[in-house]
Amino acid sequence: MRSALGWVAAAVLLSAVAFFLSGYYNDVYRKLLLWIALALSYNFLFGISGQVAFSHFAFYGIGAYAVVIFLFQLGMPLPLAILAGVLVCSAIALIVAIPSTRLEGFYLALATLALAQLFIVVLNEGGAVTGGTGGLVNYRLPAIFGVYITGPWYTAVIVILVLGTYALLRHLDRSWFGRACRAVRDNPEAAAAMGVNVARTKVIAFTLTSVLAGIAGMVYAFVDNTVNPPIFGLENAFLLLFMVIIGGSGRHAGAIVGAVLLYLLPFVLSPLIGHHHALVFGALMVVVILLQPRGLIGLYDRYPRGQKAH
Amino acid sequence: MRKWLAALLAAVSASVVAQETIKIGVITDKVGPAKPYSEPTLEGIQFGANEINAAGGVLGRKIELLIEDDQGRPDISAAMARKLVDAGAVFILSITLTPATQQQQNVTLEAKTPQMTPMNSGDTLTTQLQNPYFWQTGPLGSIQIATLLSHARSKQLKRVALITDNSDLGQLLAKFFRAGLEKSGIQVVAEEVVPRGATTAEPQMQKVRAANPEAMFMAGVLTPENVLILRAYRQMALKFPIHSSYNLSVPQYMSVAKGLLNGITFVDAYDPEKPEVKKFEADYRKATGKLPYNIHGYGYDGIKMVAEAIKRAGSTDKEKIRAAMQSLEFSGVMGAKGMKYVFPDGKRAGFDPNGMVVRVYEGDKQGRVVHVGQK
Amino acid sequence: MRDLLELSVSAAASGCIYALVALAYLLMIRPTGVINFAVGEWAMVGAFGGFLLLSKYEWPYALGMAAVLGFMLLVGWITERIAVRPLVERGAPLLAAILALLGMLVVFREGISLGFGPDPHQVPEPVSFEYLKLFVIGATLVVFAAVWLFFERTLWGKAFEAVALNRRAAALMGIDLRRVTVASFAGGAAAAGLAGLLVAPNTSAHYLMGVPLAIQGFTALVIGGVGRVEGALLGGLLVAFAEQLTVRYAPLPSGYAQGVPLLLLMLFLLVRPTGLLRARA
Repeated sequence: MRSALGWVAAAVLLSAVAFFLSGYYNDVYRKLLLWIALALSYNFLFGISGQVAFSHFAFYGIGAYAVVIFLFQLGMPLPLAILAGVLVCSAIALIVAIPSTRLEGFYLALATLALAQLFIVVLNEGGAVTGGTGGLVNYRLPAIFGVYITGPWYTAVIVILVLGTYALLRHLDRSWFGRACRAVRDNPEAAAAMGVNVARTKVIAFTLTSVLAGIAGMVYAFVDNTVNPPIFGLENAFLLLFMVIIGGSGRHAGAIVGAVLLYLLPFVLSPLIGHHHALVFGALMVVVILLQPRGLIGLYDRYPRGQKAH
Repeated sequence: MRKWLAALLAAVSASVVAQETIKIGVITDKVGPAKPYSEPTLEGIQFGANEINAAGGVLGRKIELLIEDDQGRPDISAAMARKLVDAGAVFILSITLTPATQQQQNVTLEAKTPQMTPMNSGDTLTTQLQNPYFWQTGPLGSIQIATLLSHARSKQLKRVALITDNSDLGQLLAKFFRAGLEKSGIQVVAEEVVPRGATTAEPQMQKVRAANPEAMFMAGVLTPENVLILRAYRQMALKFPIHSSYNLSVPQYMSVAKGLLNGITFVDAYDPEKPEVKKFEADYRKATGKLPYNIHGYGYDGIKMVAEAIKRAGSTDKEKIRAAMQSLEFSGVMGAKGMKYVFPDGKRAGFDPNGMVVRVYEGDKQGRVVHVGQK
Repeated sequence: MRDLLELSVSAAASGCIYALVALAYLLMIRPTGVINFAVGEWAMVGAFGGFLLLSKYEWPYALGMAAVLGFMLLVGWITERIAVRPLVERGAPLLAAILALLGMLVVFREGISLGFGPDPHQVPEPVSFEYLKLFVIGATLVVFAAVWLFFERTLWGKAFEAVALNRRAAALMGIDLRRVTVASFAGGAAAAGLAGLLVAPNTSAHYLMGVPLAIQGFTALVIGGVGRVEGALLGGLLVAFAEQLTVRYAPLPSGYAQGVPLLLLMLFLLVRPTGLLRARA
């Protein structure tokens, strides 16, 4: 009961912020929240399950495009469009995951890299269905029970998405499934010996997190009411990886810290060093891996608090 | 204490000055794929703004440019448009990727803020979304191709080859090229792609040679890959003429494709013989010490047009500026001699369909105009 | 027939470039197991070195080339000291070093973009253009012969091989692991830098040239196998011939022909992950 109240309070508080922000800060805030949602699910995939995949951002795009196409090209009602989008994401995730997670090492990285590139090609070549290089515009979120959700109210939808993602992943992380994922990451042979089905654990983790990314993409589709290929470019996949590593991979708080830092850093840095924030990202990544392998969240852990230490 | 007072005073007086300026937002790309085009455009805008301010500004007020970097990311671009609207910009100039400009439009439509791109050439910017606050004065892709084709028609071509790269824009242009060529009854006998990062274009050019075309059209936009094509063309001592997209008008070619360019024709929106261009180049050189090129001209025309619209509106009321912009007639640096940007009948793409030219490389220099418009 | 002959020379020259990049990977993977995707950016650094010394300051080619290669040794040495050694000494997993080198990749690329701007730059050729391909092939063969002799005939080379086979045993035998690792990175950087310097007269030097080279080189490496030096050369040539013959002769739309090397890569990973040439026991 108390924890339910806590979640509601967090939702109200995080949503309320939007009503005090100007148009610009509200927009930055929304996109930050979406990056946090993505970093959280990517952290589960990379940090907790130990799978190096570059398709996470592509699934964000698949979700966004799918919901727009189902709604406005095929004329589906909203709940059905969302369901169909989830099905598309799961199907693609399974097609990629089932063969590649059975193999060792960099296979998944290569297969998902190919998927991410293929996705952009399909978007550009998709003709009227995907709108080609120009993407899809000129649509809006349909009314839900006769109400159009706009402005700061839509930020509340994003807040619910982030909290929902966080709650689900935290719950999973603490369940037997989270332990199985960590066991598979740390030592697949030992995990198998303990009775964990290694391949199945990997496939489930990959599919689940990919669907979460797809749902975040569906929410994104109505932030600017535009979807186009450059938004879902491959460089974002690397940015996600950097976020999780710099923040602290394997930790939810780390993912949040990394997403906040790397999303906001360019805004802060560009008046100071012009446009070379990418250089700072690269250097930061090296420094973190060298000096603080647990990421920035590891710094917080080291800070003496007189309580239990890890 | 006195230091503090002085600082405070300076801050207050600065803010008084700031209140008096007319704020014009610029959204540019300083890291992404549009960077090579955005940088010279921005320099053109800054030069134009300085010129306007030196001549007393607009409506007796100075222009202040608020420049934002969208990192080449459309979603950030939309956020930057909101930032500029919040900061009181009365007009936004978009000099970034086409999809980024598209995404900004959702903001300018909602905030009823005039927005213009002086450089994007995507045809869909004014057709995908009915946004009465948005104009485009860059030459449309379809105009470039029509101009190049009308030049080709004057040569009575029957069989041609088409070559491009695998960038999004290169693919898109090739598609337009092909459609235009086929509509004119010209047969495409070979269609080749040189992928990004290739180390040679020889296999592709061998295929072109085997198809024995009367001319070759280049639709690619990646400089290194285009240089590979030209190098293979020279090494194989091929003789058919090459007609290129506007990409070959970028002056970088004169140094990276040295010795490969003579006789190649390309479509451009810039006529060095035009009096306005001569004056622009001289003034720019005097002010900055550098010689500008065609892309600087896009930015220069853009800021001048915005200033003119504000002047005619007689106020910084965004609705009045919108009306003034829609009825504006403006002749600038870009375009063939005598070309005017106009927006008749609510049209918002203002580059004259007959305003582009075909130029030819003379040695390694971008030379004279050999063809004008689509006739 | 004329086409096939022309194409063979062209594919051999491209293949040599890929082979040098593959060699760079291989030199580092053998003793350390680290896949360094920054090799492409190293090639870019080499190309820009060529632009700076040969185009801008107009040094004689041989001198400029020597200076660039010397500088690349330094770059490899510094990269190893910064991004690899501290991790190895801590006993961090291999993935940590691979990721740190990905970070270095970004640092190299953005550093070059900061210093030279986004536009491509022209790099002069060592010999007139008709003979450039032969020069590339010749230089590559010399490098491969030297590396092969080094591994087969010198004590140092044997030390490398020993480390590649078994790190702990090699350390017990008194081989200085740290010295072998740093030398492998310096050598890798020089090989990659040479690839960049040789390819740049064709492609020009630009800050985005690294990643395609890294991918082509990696494909060559996987196909040839990481076990033997000759594998890198074989893999590079195979990739280039497959690529260019498909473009020229396969009845495919030109756009799809680009997919062939990727297809080859996938095929090899699935069917023969050790590559064509296996390591000798």
